[in-house]
Amino acid sequence: MSIAGTKKVKSRKTQEARLAWTLISPTALIVFGLVIFPAIFSVWVSFHDVGLDNLNDVFHAPFIGFDNYKKVIDDYAFKFQGLQNWGAAVTTIIYSFASTSLAVLVGLAASLLLNRPFKGRGVARAIFLFPYVAPIVSIAFVWRWILDPRPSGVVNDILMSLNLIELPKAYLASRGLSLIIVILLDAWRYFPFCMLMILARLQAIDGTLYEAAKVDGANVVQQFFFITIPELRYVLGATFLLRLMWTFNKFDDIFLYTGGGFGTKVLPVLTYEFSFRLYDFGRGAATAMILLLILALFMTLYVTVVMKNVED
Amino acid sequence: MKNEKKNLIGHLADWINWKRFLFSVVLIFFLTSIIFPFYWMVSSSFKTKAEIGGREPVYVPSGLRLDAYRELFDPNHPSYQDFGRNIVNTLKVSIPTAIIAVILAVLGSYAIARFRFKGKNILLNGILLVYLFPGVLLIIPLFAMLAQIGDQLGFNVQDNLGVLVFTYMSQTLPVALYMLTNYFRTIPDEIEQAALIDGCSRLEVIWRVTLPLSIPALISVGIYTFMIAWNEFLYALIFLNDRHMFTMPIKINTIFNDPTPRPNVVMAASTIMTVPIIILFLSLEKYLAEGLTAGGVKG
Repeated sequence: MSIAGTKKVKSRKTQEARLAWTLISPTALIVFGLVIFPAIFSVWVSFHDVGLDNLNDVFHAPFIGFDNYKKVIDDYAFKFQGLQNWGAAVTTIIYSFASTSLAVLVGLAASLLLNRPFKGRGVARAIFLFPYVAPIVSIAFVWRWILDPRPSGVVNDILMSLNLIELPKAYLASRGLSLIIVILLDAWRYFPFCMLMILARLQAIDGTLYEAAKVDGANVVQQFFFITIPELRYVLGATFLLRLMWTFNKFDDIFLYTGGGFGTKVLPVLTYEFSFRLYDFGRGAATAMILLLILALFMTLYVTVVMKNVED
Repeated sequence: MKNEKKNLIGHLADWINWKRFLFSVVLIFFLTSIIFPFYWMVSSSFKTKAEIGGREPVYVPSGLRLDAYRELFDPNHPSYQDFGRNIVNTLKVSIPTAIIAVILAVLGSYAIARFRFKGKNILLNGILLVYLFPGVLLIIPLFAMLAQIGDQLGFNVQDNLGVLVFTYMSQTLPVALYMLTNYFRTIPDEIEQAALIDGCSRLEVIWRVTLPLSIPALISVGIYTFMIAWNEFLYALIFLNDRHMFTMPIKINTIFNDPTPRPNVVMAASTIMTVPIIILFLSLEKYLAEGLTAGGVKG
């Protein structure tokens, strides 16, 4: 009886395992073919001389060791050449950290705003999400049109009539200023994501904590720093990490805003240029691998140092 | 005594007013900075060439002029853009992407959520790779691989919307799997066990019990994947060269980079691309806002 029972359970188990594999196999194949294999393959490409001419016979491309990496590191577009020309590596780091920090801060402000009950809060929350939901192509071209360098550009017109600037500015075509503008625009576009993450956590904070603090005579500012921020530490850290990762890898935004010109060239844009303008896929892959290495380094540092402190 | 009390209340009222004032100022600042670009996009699409090219910006267009839209859709216009074709192309890519991603993700994430099997962790880690890997990195090996496969099987990799749908799986499927697995885990196992004891097979359980319970999740995942494909820029930029095959984002980029700038036409095309997304989002905001964080939609 019991033997028959275990047999039944066993055959049920193997049956279930078989079904599991049937269900998962199309997905597994696609994930393997479109994610895992390409990820490994791109490491291979970065060590080989792959161009448009031998793309059809890519597996016989000549092995060239670290040549692609050397070429990238020596490229004037990549390396730091003083404060006038940061190069893509430094630009990527500064751009990612600045726009991520700003997006988290603005997201925090927005979530505190929406955490208070008021009439029309639902509508406001929906509107707050617009920048994140709308297509990046539309967003980028609207901003380029708003920041038009001619005196007829809206921002130029407003700032000139307020006497804040004398001459029209080329916001997305001036070294230095462009990077600042791109960082601001990115914070504008991605703060809603941070806001949603923080808001969810904010609404889960135990209200009695504030009651107790009020009884103890803590004012709003003290409540914010001694209750809200500690309660939010973990979600702030996680949101920052996620956004940092995505911003590091982001191609569309900068490509559409400036095309990577005027001191805004980041590594994803450089990867694209090597691969699909110069058709040097090996060098492109090497650039992307360097990007990935820098990212992995920061993430490890962040998780071991910052997040560990947060958990303690 | 009475005076003091009044003073206190007076102070309190002042304090609340000050707080409210600050609150409203910040709220208004947020709302205007968000709404203005969208207002500017829609209003600019109704401006005439003169209004667009004037010495000063026109804040409110003189009327709902359809000049820009005529250039996009009217075959008799001298620089007719045939934008209708680009809309159709985008739909041809984004609808199949959404449908295929949802079907595959339902099967896959059910297996991940309910069964234990060998290789599950490798698969899950592989899915997470997408979150770490830049799209611009994956496109290089994908391009090389597909060029090779296409060469052998005799199909064109460039200007092939089917290939584009296939590559979009690398971006949509992991997100869809992640969201649906999370959702399936919230459905109590007991319900399914009950149906199994009643004699239903696993597949019947999925079809009759799990899926009906998951309709909101399926809709949000479908809309997400649709939106990813609708908005996608980089892969389309690389795989599409023929203007007849362009999806909307690539077409808008092309119009923008035209030697004679026509911002009103760019804004009209952007409006057409944005409005459906905003409407979709608003009609399903309740489901979608949760999914945005739960699924951590890559963006």
